Amino acid sequence: MLNYTIRRLFFVLFVVWGVSLATFFISQVVPGDPALAALGDKATDEMIANFRVKNGLDQPVYVQYFTYIGRLLQGDLGTSLRTGRPILDDLRDFFPGTLELSATALLIAALLGIPAGILAALNQNKAPDVIVRLLALLGGATPIYWLAILLLEFLHNKLRLLPGPGRLDAYLIAPPRVTGFVGLDALFAGDWQVLGDSLMHIILPAFVLGAFSSALLARMTRAAMLETLSQDFIRTARSKGVAETRVVIKHALRNAFLPVLTVLGGVLGGLLSGAVLTETIFSWPGIGRYTTDAAISLDFPAVMGVTLLAGMAYSLINLFTDLLYALFDPRITYA
Amino acid sequence: MKKRLGAAATLLSMGLLVVGVTAQDSRSSTLIYGGDWSGLITIDPGMSYEYAGSMVTNNVYETLVKFEGTDLSTLKPSIATRWTTKDMGDMWKVTFTLRSQKFASGNALTADDVVYTFDRAIAMKGPGSFLFTSVANMKVGSTKAINKNTVEVLLPKTASPAAFLNLLTFNIGGIVDSAVVKANVVNNDYGAAWLKRNSAGSGPFVVSRWDQNQAVVLDVNRNSRIKSVLTRVILREMKEANTQKIALESNEIDIADNLTPDMVKVKATDANFSVYKADSLNLQYLGMNVSDTSPFKDARVRQAVRYALDQDGIIKSLAGGNARKVQTIIPAGLFGFNAATPYTLNPEKAKELLKAAGKEAGFEFDMLTPQGACLAGIPCADLAAKIQSDLAKIGLKANVKQLVDSELYPLYRAQKATMVLVDWSPDFPDPDGNATPMSDFAAKSLAWRNVWNNPTAGKLAQQAALEPNPTKRAALYKQLTELQLEDGPFAILFQPTVSVTLAKTVKGYVRNAQNQVRFEKISK
Repeated sequence: MLNYTIRRLFFVLFVVWGVSLATFFISQVVPGDPALAALGDKATDEMIANFRVKNGLDQPVYVQYFTYIGRLLQGDLGTSLRTGRPILDDLRDFFPGTLELSATALLIAALLGIPAGILAALNQNKAPDVIVRLLALLGGATPIYWLAILLLEFLHNKLRLLPGPGRLDAYLIAPPRVTGFVGLDALFAGDWQVLGDSLMHIILPAFVLGAFSSALLARMTRAAMLETLSQDFIRTARSKGVAETRVVIKHALRNAFLPVLTVLGGVLGGLLSGAVLTETIFSWPGIGRYTTDAAISLDFPAVMGVTLLAGMAYSLINLFTDLLYALFDPRITYA
Repeated sequence: MKKRLGAAATLLSMGLLVVGVTAQDSRSSTLIYGGDWSGLITIDPGMSYEYAGSMVTNNVYETLVKFEGTDLSTLKPSIATRWTTKDMGDMWKVTFTLRSQKFASGNALTADDVVYTFDRAIAMKGPGSFLFTSVANMKVGSTKAINKNTVEVLLPKTASPAAFLNLLTFNIGGIVDSAVVKANVVNNDYGAAWLKRNSAGSGPFVVSRWDQNQAVVLDVNRNSRIKSVLTRVILREMKEANTQKIALESNEIDIADNLTPDMVKVKATDANFSVYKADSLNLQYLGMNVSDTSPFKDARVRQAVRYALDQDGIIKSLAGGNARKVQTIIPAGLFGFNAATPYTLNPEKAKELLKAAGKEAGFEFDMLTPQGACLAGIPCADLAAKIQSDLAKIGLKANVKQLVDSELYPLYRAQKATMVLVDWSPDFPDPDGNATPMSDFAAKSLAWRNVWNNPTAGKLAQQAALEPNPTKRAALYKQLTELQLEDGPFAILFQPTVSVTLAKTVKGYVRNAQNQVRFEKISK
């Protein structure tokens, strides 16, 4: 298992290198001038030339790439052309917001999607199944921006049940930064008002973000459960008189969980790489909005920083998912 | 037991009441301004150049002179109580007398701080530094402290003292506390890394906190001579118009900066809100390349385009009335504005002009258009389609090419755009901010990009920029704007107004055409 993990970690490094290479060369063929994008239309030719020299944009492409890789090996992702800050600092500021949102969204998706999938499978072609399938269809087909605006208008604006956009009420000031996760920082600071407010603020965006994933999980769980429930060993368990709850949870779900786990991993990767629409509508300071702003202003070092982070997150999540397989299925071993 | 419970309940409710009253108090003295502040990348006045930065620096730093209210033609005292301009033969000498006042740190503001601020801005070569170096022709050393309260600036005769005084009202003129900044210098960076996220000014507010892409918190500066009713202003970032609308309706924000024209129209009729209409100095225009190979080489073709454009239709239907009809290159609100609008919609006249120019058969060309929204919130695609249809009526076939800014501007700047639909705004409230770039080919700006080399126009722009006598200066600008109307490479489409939606409780909000809002004047 250890050998396998180390081998896979090496593989992650290769993936990250591949991502850096691809992103770097794509950035070179995109039309447009990063210096002009950063300085604006009124910049003089001299200002543009200075900017190019300062940021190494006047160097040949391969020199720029090797300089970039050299810095990367020293843990330096470079400086953002747009914000003028080290990209690591920017990522440190924005990534916790996305992680907080994605993790909550995943939790909501799993809590809604998996039980709904089980319920549907156990009641195949009966009312609960039809309802779950219909909701899953709706959940999968509803555009995020529409759902977000609808829920904001209804639950926040009309009923005043939940707070609106933002990570915190505008009047509240976030506690001193320790982890970057507002809830955790509030906990450390013993600021219960901020903690409560941050938890209330995350419900709507996390639900909106999790809705699509919960639909996917419900369908996946239903299909996997249906397949498992028709297997011989389930029939054997039932004929031996094993309680139905035990059959469903212990025998069926455990076997059906592998494909669901794969989807869960993919969903988390997708959520982490940036929930642009949700973050924009809910004014959520996360990596999705940071990336959009960076891409629009041709801030390639920032785009590359985010891409590397996303590539690494995907690879590690995949590795983690694979390792979890062995936990759920004793037949799987890694050497 | 019951008694104890009762006492506890009374205490608790009193506690809640106190908390509630305090919260209410802090809410009434806190203003929350929702807007798209995503352009905010620095709050250093020496480096800040964009709109969001101005919103912060204008309230945190004071300038030597300033404009008050919406009037951009009369300079008022600020840090300087008086100033004089003297002709020294080969130089202009501008002398400022400073009032005695303190920075937020408690340090006294002296002439040395002014010298440090100006020299620092020039040495850092930030995006706005060209105002000092190219417009005012200043160098490090041009500013001198005569004594604690007197500072003088020597300008070469190639610079306009009027333009210099006007540009001091922009971000770059914000005076920094040199002692505080020097204490935070790292690797000879003039304190830029520190001042990027911290403040050291004498204005009515200080920056207490800035969480990027979330909020900037400004708290009142107790050491400022300018007193404010509000104790805290929070610039809350909300990129989406719809998000701003929802937040405004639920009292989460007091001001929404960027509602769409449709949303503004609805809010204007709602008793809970008011709409503030501010002028702007922006001009939306069509640029026509007049190079030898361009179909717009002949001035009569350019005049035909101006006669073919349905400006009233654009303003009424597309801009929802949120724009002013102008046809000259200096925007309304600035000295030298020429209100003439001789080009009325007249396709027949346009066809005659085309015929006279030998283009009666019409011609086909590319019209470069940005993506996203043009001025007044009009989608550029819609504006381009309207222009395309107007021009089609006189036989000109415009192929609309929508490009992202980073593709469009390199083409335009390389004189490769036959026709371009873009906008322009002056960097400081002086007519020279438009006149020189749009008229002087040698300035290598808009006239150059459109290959319009008219020596008379260039000379008039230079003369007007340097003319100290207002009457003579006005006459020069009249001549220049008339020449542009006749021969220039531009068809000015409109000058937009900016609509800001306020909760009814917000009083005293004023925004000038330079997008300056003074928070100390606001109450709620």
